[in-house]
Amino acid sequence: MPLLGSNEKHSDSNVITIDVGGQNFQTTKQTLSLAGPKSVLSNLSVSQFGGGVPFIDRDPELFSILLSLLRTGNLPSKAKAFDVQDLIFEAQFYGIESLLVDSISNPSQFDAFNLEKSLFLPLNGRDSPSTITTTPYGSVHVAHGSKITSFDWSLRRKSTILTQFTAIDSLLALSPSLAAAGATDFSGLQILDLEKGFVRETLNWENITKSSSTVQAIGSSPEYLFTSFESGRRNSNSIMVYDLQGSFRPVLEIDHNEIYGAELDTAIPATKLKWVSSFNFLMASGSHGGPSGVVGSIKFWDVRSGNAVCELKEKTDCFSDVTVSDNLSAIFKVGVNSGEVFYADLRKLGGVNQWACLGDERKVGIAKKEGAGCKIESHGNQVFCSKKGDLELWSEVLMGSKSSEDGFEERIFRKNLMGRAKDAGGCKITDLSFGGNKMFVTRKDQQFVEVWQSSTRGF
Amino acid sequence: MENRIDNSTPSFDRIKLNVGGKLFETTLSTVQSSGPDSLLSALSTRSTHSSDPIFIDRDPDIFSVLLSLLRTNRLPSSSLKFSKQELLDEAAYYGVESNLKSALLPPSLNGLDASLVSTLHPSVEGFPTDFTAETDDGSVLIAHGGQISCYDSNLIHVGSVRTHLENVTSVRRVWSNIATVGSNSSAGVHFYDLGSGRNVGSVHWTDPSDPRIYRARVHAIAHEPSSVFASCECQHRENCILHIDKSTLQISSEIGRQSGNSAKTVVIGKLTYLSEMHMLIGSSTSAGAFGYSGYMRIWDPRSRNVVWETSEPGSGRSSRFGDSFADADVDTDQCALLKVCSKSGDVAMADLRNLGDDPWVYYQDNNLGQRNPGGSKVIHCYKKQVFVGKEGGLEVWSRVEERENGGGCDGLVYRRNFVDKAENTEKGIIRKMEGGGNRLFVSREDVEGLEVWESSYSSNVVHVL
Repeated sequence: MPLLGSNEKHSDSNVITIDVGGQNFQTTKQTLSLAGPKSVLSNLSVSQFGGGVPFIDRDPELFSILLSLLRTGNLPSKAKAFDVQDLIFEAQFYGIESLLVDSISNPSQFDAFNLEKSLFLPLNGRDSPSTITTTPYGSVHVAHGSKITSFDWSLRRKSTILTQFTAIDSLLALSPSLAAAGATDFSGLQILDLEKGFVRETLNWENITKSSSTVQAIGSSPEYLFTSFESGRRNSNSIMVYDLQGSFRPVLEIDHNEIYGAELDTAIPATKLKWVSSFNFLMASGSHGGPSGVVGSIKFWDVRSGNAVCELKEKTDCFSDVTVSDNLSAIFKVGVNSGEVFYADLRKLGGVNQWACLGDERKVGIAKKEGAGCKIESHGNQVFCSKKGDLELWSEVLMGSKSSEDGFEERIFRKNLMGRAKDAGGCKITDLSFGGNKMFVTRKDQQFVEVWQSSTRGF
Repeated sequence: MENRIDNSTPSFDRIKLNVGGKLFETTLSTVQSSGPDSLLSALSTRSTHSSDPIFIDRDPDIFSVLLSLLRTNRLPSSSLKFSKQELLDEAAYYGVESNLKSALLPPSLNGLDASLVSTLHPSVEGFPTDFTAETDDGSVLIAHGGQISCYDSNLIHVGSVRTHLENVTSVRRVWSNIATVGSNSSAGVHFYDLGSGRNVGSVHWTDPSDPRIYRARVHAIAHEPSSVFASCECQHRENCILHIDKSTLQISSEIGRQSGNSAKTVVIGKLTYLSEMHMLIGSSTSAGAFGYSGYMRIWDPRSRNVVWETSEPGSGRSSRFGDSFADADVDTDQCALLKVCSKSGDVAMADLRNLGDDPWVYYQDNNLGQRNPGGSKVIHCYKKQVFVGKEGGLEVWSRVEERENGGGCDGLVYRRNFVDKAENTEKGIIRKMEGGGNRLFVSREDVEGLEVWESSYSSNVVHVL
């Protein structure tokens, strides 16, 4: 509670003196107004204190750090002497937590080439993480067994809730305190309030026989929540589009398949849903292991019309995982047989053989299942691909203009193996996620989350 | 810039302190949040017309921690530079102990997210034979050998009392400074003053008409505000529950005297008094060549009548014949009786307000990935969670929160999760668990020390760089 006093007067009305816990600080109105209209600090600058020095009954040392943050937008190096948790509480008091988030966990600070394995987030109990999800500023939610443990953006505080699921297979963070969760053995999609541990909403899809349906994948765009449902008897599936801004009202149903007889390959449920914002498409991919090997399909949907824009049928060397990169305008897959990474340019989809192999093309025909269990995800300008315990980082090398005959140059991608030599190997990677300036990795049989971080100022 | 503010107001609202040479300035409301009796409040109410800061000859660094605590109600990380004891001593000087103690207490215990934070190690004969944390302020009494060690709500060792018994196997804190102790190898119920360490009284079960009744040993103790109940057994296996009046330390009655010559009349090994329903609940189990057998019995201590009883195997219409209970506990929050089955490890609950022939409702376990090892099992309820120790493993049954507006309690879902890690199991068989002060205390067979499990909001990140 700021209290007013009066010791001295200032002729220069632009300079403001504040007494915090017995120490005087001088700054300008402009600096304090950076704290935002709701902050205690900007209110100080607005009101004229009758010549008095406003007094704030808080710790002066922490305030000096936060004042530096206000002045420069960065934490001073002396902030290292403080625990980030103290700074967060203090910043919350002054109403400038968002500035602190920006300086410590800003997504723009993400530097793929500079990521180092720096932290472990331990999970209590014996369940290994089944899936993780992150918010843009680096809060992370980890599903392990029937529980979800949420870490805040600073990764210093956690909370755990119990869900009705036995195990959670799909989890998507909608906000730092809200997530959508589903499982392949549990009926319905649940919107969970992670602070209170309540189910906010249960979303169900029913086919003609009104049987219950399980969740295969969850995705989102700024406006919509997408959920891939499969009926309990596994004879029909569909992707539901819910309004994310409203109260999760169903908007549209796309890709509804009913399976009659043996036409399994035409109706594979989507197991990954990715929004491609620059094209306004939803990418839905699913694969199915049959007697003739793994077959799959990647479909692009126009959510407004509900029509498929394009479909890639995967017959030879189907993907074991596939992702789409907005920045690179390309889709990337790991071949289940070859274990090699392929890319296809989004701007020239629909051709005969879209995929360009970024590795040894001779391995495509050999059914060695080298790519089984590999994960591929894109973030920023890079693509991350896990192969067993290792992580590959793929990035595009931009060359001077050198057009080929079809108007599109052959693009060049190069890979790096991430981490130090001592980080190589390790248990198989089960999930990858990105938030803030960090990458989160979970591995089989490990009851913690690995955090890969690029070094930041201050911390 | 007009003079609206009276220049004298700040000296009433604000207070300047010079602690060990360092200047601090704060407000009266901050200083007075420690309560009217504290040194700081006393200083602040002193009428000081001078603007000179009040000088306090103490360490300024610890004071800054305590001042932060008063301002924010949380301990800053700089508190880690000081030991708990140091902080408590300093807080006692300023009279802000209660603020510090509440900031040091762990958050609400969530069995899903608890970890082993420390182990209490009594320094002599550190094998806990019994312990009690039932006061629920976080303090704990540990009986180890012939000693009782007392730990306060911050788990700081307050003192130890050497009793005349060789091996204390039951201890209860019946008043704030009086412990009732008993042993299954020597006679009598004894009362010790924890402050002075003196024996303030002893009670022995005698019966002038029956010469077999002498040197009765104690197997379990329970208490209520005015009386203590002790389950006693003589060498001829004759047993009963003594109802001892706390004010006179005299036996006021015998409850449920029995011969002890069959499995259904063995001495009560676990005793609980449920004050909400005025019930005395006892259970006894014995493990034989053909598995476990046991009984549970509920008395009304006023009439000394048995209100309800069940014995396993055999009683009621239980469909779980042959899977008798290995341990039972009373959930005092929800007035329920809980048992863990000896073979399947299943947990069942019975509502104490609605007991019948077969009142058991078994918790459904969907998690098939978790095995049920054989062997010893213990059960304890705390904060509406059921903790089950199976051999060395520690599990918790917790209720899944329903919708926001609590919609319908028909579908109560309980989930079983491990509290511990696989490596904790190796430490030893869990012998007793008890919750208190949002901590779970666990003792293990032939393992020194008492484990303390707590939940935390801190993520406890491990730095690997």
